[in-house]
Amino acid sequence: MSTSVVAIDNLVKRYGDKVAVDHFSLDVKEGEILGLLGPNGSGKTTTINCLLALLKYDKGSVTIFGKEMKPESYDIKSEIGVVMQNVAVVETLNVYENVDFFCGLYIKDKALRKKYVEEALEFTGLTEYKKYKPMKLSGGLLRRLNIACGIAHKPKLIIFDEPTVAVDPQSRNAILEGIRKINKDGATIIYTSHYMEEVEELCTRIVIMDHGRNVASGTAKELKSSLVNRETIRIGIPNRTDKIFADIKEINHVYKVKEDGEDLVIKCDGGEHNLVHVLSYLTDNNIPFGHVSTQLPTLNDVFLEITGKELRD
Amino acid sequence: MFGRMFIYKLKELVRNRFLIGWNFLFPLVLATAFYLGFGNMIKDDPDSFKAIDVGYVNTAGEDTNFHKVIGELSEETSDHADILNVSEYTSEEEAMKDLKGEGGIYGIYVDDGNEIKTIVPFNGYRATALNQIVREYENKITLIGNIAKDHPENLDTALELVTKDMNIAKEYDFGSGISLYLQYFFALIAMASLFGSWISTEMIEGMCANHTEKGKRFECAPVSKLMSIASGVLAGASMQAVSNAIVVIYIEYVLKIKFGIPLWNVILITTLGSGLGISMGVLIGALVKNKRLFDIIPIVFSMTCSFCSGLMWDQIRQMIQANAPILNKINPAALLVDCLYTRATYGTIDVYYQDIGIMSIMIIGALTISAVLLRRRRYVSL
Repeated sequence: MSTSVVAIDNLVKRYGDKVAVDHFSLDVKEGEILGLLGPNGSGKTTTINCLLALLKYDKGSVTIFGKEMKPESYDIKSEIGVVMQNVAVVETLNVYENVDFFCGLYIKDKALRKKYVEEALEFTGLTEYKKYKPMKLSGGLLRRLNIACGIAHKPKLIIFDEPTVAVDPQSRNAILEGIRKINKDGATIIYTSHYMEEVEELCTRIVIMDHGRNVASGTAKELKSSLVNRETIRIGIPNRTDKIFADIKEINHVYKVKEDGEDLVIKCDGGEHNLVHVLSYLTDNNIPFGHVSTQLPTLNDVFLEITGKELRD
Repeated sequence: MFGRMFIYKLKELVRNRFLIGWNFLFPLVLATAFYLGFGNMIKDDPDSFKAIDVGYVNTAGEDTNFHKVIGELSEETSDHADILNVSEYTSEEEAMKDLKGEGGIYGIYVDDGNEIKTIVPFNGYRATALNQIVREYENKITLIGNIAKDHPENLDTALELVTKDMNIAKEYDFGSGISLYLQYFFALIAMASLFGSWISTEMIEGMCANHTEKGKRFECAPVSKLMSIASGVLAGASMQAVSNAIVVIYIEYVLKIKFGIPLWNVILITTLGSGLGISMGVLIGALVKNKRLFDIIPIVFSMTCSFCSGLMWDQIRQMIQANAPILNKINPAALLVDCLYTRATYGTIDVYYQDIGIMSIMIIGALTISAVLLRRRRYVSL
């Protein structure tokens, strides 16, 4: 069984009357990429700040590597890397100096630090930009520098707080690929985002947050399998009759049929070949139809079902 | 770790164009402007230090050591200009008739051979100087007395000192052509020193999680926050001190404005001023939480203090001194100007040491309060 790297127990953080984190618990195992998914303002960053002992909290406990996390827990901090939501670099230092400076807060040995800095630059694809000042870098490269500064010291636990906000798709993919590689090399990752596709693509386990609470957790598959709706089929049928409605409803696993403009929207609660069954019915009965699409449930559907609102609301 | 952070902080500061512009180039430009405005007036200022008119009444009936001393202070030598302009009277009453300040004498020394009675009814630097001369003389006499008692074998040498080394002027650099206009340059140096507060507020901003993401990164690292700040303070103070020293050298050697103080002493005082500016900035950074105020307060603070120390109007410091002297004692810029002015006018008298003492206490106090406020902690909100 994997060891617990981070354990948050019953965490409560209030800002005046507003409860930002509400009895939130979390257990991150060694080697995991844990995704903390939730809309803006759901308490993800506050949770991370409490986890890093930057914020005072009202109740609960935070344990990292089996020890209580405090502001002066330097032994724990030396094993943590943080990639902030906003770029946190020194404007007047060049790329190499930035990475060297922040890495030097963790690694005292000069030769080892040099090696780590060069590896971090290589890893983030910044080697050719090492003499550049941050202001000369594009948004994507700046994000990469932000990452290099956070991971150069080869921490065992890395926290990525929405690292892809305002990043172009190419850089975003490079960042996600990089995170996978870091994880493969042995680091445990906590990744916060409000982009469900990213979390689904990257994370081995997902915790969905809303109003500071842990509303659901599990793998993407587990979360989606908890939904009633497992497949949504959309077919353009120009001449719809009540009989067509009734017949489609009789098809195995179909639990809801409704109109949406020119389309018929069919919801299924399971099964594997629902589209084939629906199309067979239409062709067998010579019912003309136009475009066809099918959609498997997303994490947004999970969120919608649990909270009654969309993730991006 | 400390050294490494110090070097990086120094690099960071030296490459900061805004700081270089305001903390280094702007004082040079302003100094040049002052020079163009009233550089010649400084050189030919009618208000420059002139020998103090003083009356001397000898009731001892014979020549005294004190008489020799003031005689020496009345002569211009290679070491000093003439400090006193002594008029001798036969009686105190006769001298009192001339005791009217401007156009007469500013004080009377009544010498009975043992004690010196000083009559100084006016306030101002002349009164301070006249009193200080007597105090210094009496200290020397006491010293001689002690030598005579404890080491009579050295008495001859000691007595020689009374006449030869009673050269108060060597310690009190009176009469080195100090112009009131010099105050503008002193205020300029004080302003440049207080601009150091910008360095420290910016540094605190970058090191505290409640201000910037960079601060979060610092506070997530396994290093003591106070050590990080201390390295930054030292780097900031070093940069400001060098910048001030260059401004001083520029004024003295390029603009050829004489401060009337040995250069090393001016640099020492301005270095203390740099420390003062930096520590005040650290205190502002520790006290202020609002991001906007964080940028505004150091500017308002440094400019207000500089204005009140006489940067724009030389009389304001004297006006404050007359109406609310405590303000001059808590205004870092006024303290620095006073320290430089006192040193240039009267030499190393008590007021000079008092100013140095108050500035040192302010530095220590500001850094101590800041250390308490900034020590490692969790924030209520970020």
